[in-house]
Amino acid sequence: MSSVLKNRKAAILFLMPALALYTAIVFVPILCSVYYSFFQWNGLSGMTFIGMDNYVELFTRDKVVWPVLLQTIVYTILQILFQVGGGLLLALLLTLLVKKRAVFQTIYYIPVVISSVAVCQIFDKLFSVTPTGLINHLLSFFSEGLGMTEWLTTPGLSLVVTAFAEGYKTMGVYMVTFFAALLSVPYDLSEAAKMDGAGWLKTVFHVKLPYIRPILVANMVLVLNNALRSFDFSFMLTAGGPGTSSELLASYMYKKAFGSMQYGYGSAVAVLIVGICLILASFCMRQFDK
Amino acid sequence: MEKRGNMHPPGKQNNGGKRSRRHLGTVLIYLSGCCIALVTAYPVFYAAAFGLKGMEEARTSPSYALPREIDWGNYLYIIKESSFPRYFVNSMIITGTVVILVLILASMAAFALAKMQLRGKHRIQMYFLMGLMIPIQVCLLPLYQAFAGLHLTNSYFGVILPQAAFGIPLSMYLFLNFFRFFPDDILEACVIDGAGICRLFVGIVLPMSRNIILTLAMMRAVYSWNDFLFPYTFTRSRDLQTITLGLRDFVGAYGYTDWGRTFAAVTITIVPMIAVYFFLGKYMVSGMADGSVKG
Repeated sequence: MSSVLKNRKAAILFLMPALALYTAIVFVPILCSVYYSFFQWNGLSGMTFIGMDNYVELFTRDKVVWPVLLQTIVYTILQILFQVGGGLLLALLLTLLVKKRAVFQTIYYIPVVISSVAVCQIFDKLFSVTPTGLINHLLSFFSEGLGMTEWLTTPGLSLVVTAFAEGYKTMGVYMVTFFAALLSVPYDLSEAAKMDGAGWLKTVFHVKLPYIRPILVANMVLVLNNALRSFDFSFMLTAGGPGTSSELLASYMYKKAFGSMQYGYGSAVAVLIVGICLILASFCMRQFDK
Repeated sequence: MEKRGNMHPPGKQNNGGKRSRRHLGTVLIYLSGCCIALVTAYPVFYAAAFGLKGMEEARTSPSYALPREIDWGNYLYIIKESSFPRYFVNSMIITGTVVILVLILASMAAFALAKMQLRGKHRIQMYFLMGLMIPIQVCLLPLYQAFAGLHLTNSYFGVILPQAAFGIPLSMYLFLNFFRFFPDDILEACVIDGAGICRLFVGIVLPMSRNIILTLAMMRAVYSWNDFLFPYTFTRSRDLQTITLGLRDFVGAYGYTDWGRTFAAVTITIVPMIAVYFFLGKYMVSGMADGSVKG
């Protein structure tokens, strides 16, 4: 390597701005959050040191956080289904749509570029019951009962609809990744399978999917990670409702900190989220190295 | 791989039947393809059409019906009288600054990690990648406290700095992958010709990275333009809000929402993004595909 590139001072100079901004905005606040979590604080008056009390309350007396955690896990599984599964299906469809493929791909990607606020408002209208939204209107052709489904105000169902909204918006991203991966499957592999008499479906299951397994796993990890931190949709579409049946960890933390002005407690919840994310991340990393 | 001797699998002897079955299959495939295209494109159309409904019609007619008479009132209001032009300017300023900041910082850092000599490179990389896994909300409160102290809570910087900082990990990751494959001999040749590190980076590396720069610029622009949480937390006054925040302007506090205006606003927010996407989308899509499959 030439001497110019070996110049350590220059290398540090190149690295410094990004490192400084990242450390100041991302890393230091995490440490601060951990610090705050040991205090009781409403943001205005003084901070009172209460040690592990926030965590004790979190793990023993908080009746909301554990259902919320469960809901977040369910939400995450749904996201994997919608985003990875949906993305994969769309990618497979794209491989079959030979003519005008670019047009289809462009249209399928549209939800990704729309803001989540807009998607929430549109879905709010589409899924509404009174006045009848489009979805219920279409369903009422099948059965009167179905046409009255209260999508956003039924506990359980509201979580699924929120998951669908987020999946709908983000599916396109994984569609693109999977499509590129599917295209990279060597031609001779699928040809050989065809020679052996395998139909399209068998080729997909026995040749293509195993070949793109690393991408499949990587995408699942990405979706897992993003779903655990999901905030926008549950905050805006259902506000966590009805009650707290569609509340997620991230929006719960936000409400505790900025809504109820319980800065210390909110920080403890935040630390919990980070802890879960890190545990999962290291678990996945270890799977990767195998 | 072993080839079975039987070249004509049973059941497929009839060539005519095979062809018509293939036709049917193709028709079904394109039909489903179009159905899905309808599902993904419909919301945009829905918002645009709803925005064309006058106040009366928006309240009375079913939401999915097309407007009986086209009323441009909502759109005109948004463009002329509301605060939306202001929001648009704010969004442009914030998004533009964030994109430029991320591109400069991430490319420089990635170049240092990929091509230059540094101790502990791997650990620094891991440090940055960790940022991909941190939930944003964890940092909100401390940032809010810090910014409040610095009087940044109601400013452009309050939104620009966090958006840029959180955009660095992914951009750096993609730049890193790209720079790893960058041919060393070109760099060597330029150094021999007497180029300093600055001339090397700005004059040679960056122009050759045009594709990935465009891809990342687009990805960051979309993210920043559509972002909700940071502008929501770090702006107070009306005239600093972004266009995404402004979408909630017409949502009434007591349950009455002016949906006509809301959807006209939604459409106006979506249109720039879709226009940019239609023209530059192929860079974004191919760049992402390259970055993920190669990496």
